[in-house]
Amino acid sequence: MAETVTALSAVREDLRASRILLRAAWRAALTYRVSFLSTIIGGVALQGTQLLFIGVLLSKFSVIHGWRLNDIAFLFAMRLASHAVYVVPFGALFSIDQAIQQGDVDRYLLRPAGLYLQLITRYAPLMALGDALLGFGALAIFAPRAPVDWTPAKVVFLAVALIGGGLVESGMQTFLAGLSFRTTSTTSLRILVDDTITRFSGYPLTMFNRWGFLSLTFVFPMAFIAYLPATVLLGRTDQLPIPAWLAYVSPLGGLVVFTVGLTFFNRMIRGYNSPGS
Amino acid sequence: MPVDTLSTRLIGLRGFYRAGYRSVLAYRSDLLFGIAGLVIQAALTVIVWRVLYDGQDEVAGVGSATAVAYAVLGACIQAVVMPWQFSSLPQRVIRGQIGVDMMRPRSLISQNLAQSLGTIVGRLPIGAGGLVAGLALGGVQAPHTLLDLVASVVSMALGIANIMTINLLVSMTAFWTLEIGGVLILYRFASSFLSGALIPLWFMPAWLQPILDWLPFQAQIYAPLSIWFGTRHGAELLGTLAVQLGWVVVLFLLLQAAWRRAVHKVVVLGG
Repeated sequence: MAETVTALSAVREDLRASRILLRAAWRAALTYRVSFLSTIIGGVALQGTQLLFIGVLLSKFSVIHGWRLNDIAFLFAMRLASHAVYVVPFGALFSIDQAIQQGDVDRYLLRPAGLYLQLITRYAPLMALGDALLGFGALAIFAPRAPVDWTPAKVVFLAVALIGGGLVESGMQTFLAGLSFRTTSTTSLRILVDDTITRFSGYPLTMFNRWGFLSLTFVFPMAFIAYLPATVLLGRTDQLPIPAWLAYVSPLGGLVVFTVGLTFFNRMIRGYNSPGS
Repeated sequence: MPVDTLSTRLIGLRGFYRAGYRSVLAYRSDLLFGIAGLVIQAALTVIVWRVLYDGQDEVAGVGSATAVAYAVLGACIQAVVMPWQFSSLPQRVIRGQIGVDMMRPRSLISQNLAQSLGTIVGRLPIGAGGLVAGLALGGVQAPHTLLDLVASVVSMALGIANIMTINLLVSMTAFWTLEIGGVLILYRFASSFLSGALIPLWFMPAWLQPILDWLPFQAQIYAPLSIWFGTRHGAELLGTLAVQLGWVVVLFLLLQAAWRRAVHKVVVLGG
């Protein structure tokens, strides 16, 4: 009983701390108006490149692995929106190497709030607003055009899938961020994961043959970001070399990946050696 | 009094070249992940393009094998010549180290160009890794003739000079505004999409083609690769090289003009 009370008050403390930290981070980010705008446009451009890329491809090829323009556009919009769900709250995790090298983590450890919480609120990832603008904009445009009969249940499934997809990416990046406590530089590894997801998670992943697909589902769980839930909404689960029910529960994959990532992260903190000692 | 000859100048710049080179090699794990990453991306790229061409021999006049090879080579070149951080200049401006840089007996432009050349050479193993993966999957084609090979190497050198100059030109924005993250990303978008690194410009819609022809980006990666694949001969080939050279000259003049204005802008914080 007493334990649940302390656990609850710990959660309440964390929520209070995150509110304070988030407000400070966003206020700092919004101070410079010009950079605010240019950074958001930058965020749109970065992910927009991939949208243009796929647009040019589809204008010449019209079909990718049996998927037509509206299918692919919807899949891509889902993956962009999922990415925004990751990058808006967790984007600052990207700078964990600097946080360790500059000794910020030492300060965080002394403060009365969780280390992970302080890392993700280190600064407000402004560029992520560009991601959100593009992702949800693309979804608003392409979801109505997708060959899906939208029912309230499907809209709920989509919303849960986007959160799940965001959590998959957050979990993977959290896992890798945990490695930073052991090695000096993990930036390139995290860029590699980000870049692979950016470039390839918007395709019908069964195109990478059976083993490729299975590794992108169970080893590097990119399929859970958008592809698996998209096959449910588009009625294409029969293309999958895995049982269809797995696609139906795929939005929950995010919880699994994120839990694994955060557990690993918290375990790795124990091996932390301050750079100044 | 030291004699200022070409060789003493080059010796001075060699230090910056080495600094760039070593900045890549300092974190071995970064380099290894860079290689692994490009190997994976090259493999996935080969598959994507082969699936795209499934059942079609030619699209927009381009055969499957050429499109696959173009995509692999484009990815390799991009990985080598377009690092995530274009130049250390913006950071040096923000931290005020630029003051020291400006007192050095070599021009700021040549210091930075030497350093970015070092970075490119340091990143060569990454490109080599991707190339090996592409070769292993049968996704890379050699040029048809020796002339094409020689011409495309010359063209690549001009493309790299073009990229290095624009990178520095864009980085110089830091003299006017300290928050240049957005500008750099916009430029990254322009260079990867419009240079033909991601997608051969053959596939671009017809209305965009004339615009692309007039931009400096197509001279970065699209020009050398289209020579590599033997699509340009005789006068057209010479014309392409001339346009590339022209862009390098124009961009370099722009760079110097920007630097002359920037000098008057520099206010080292705290100094």
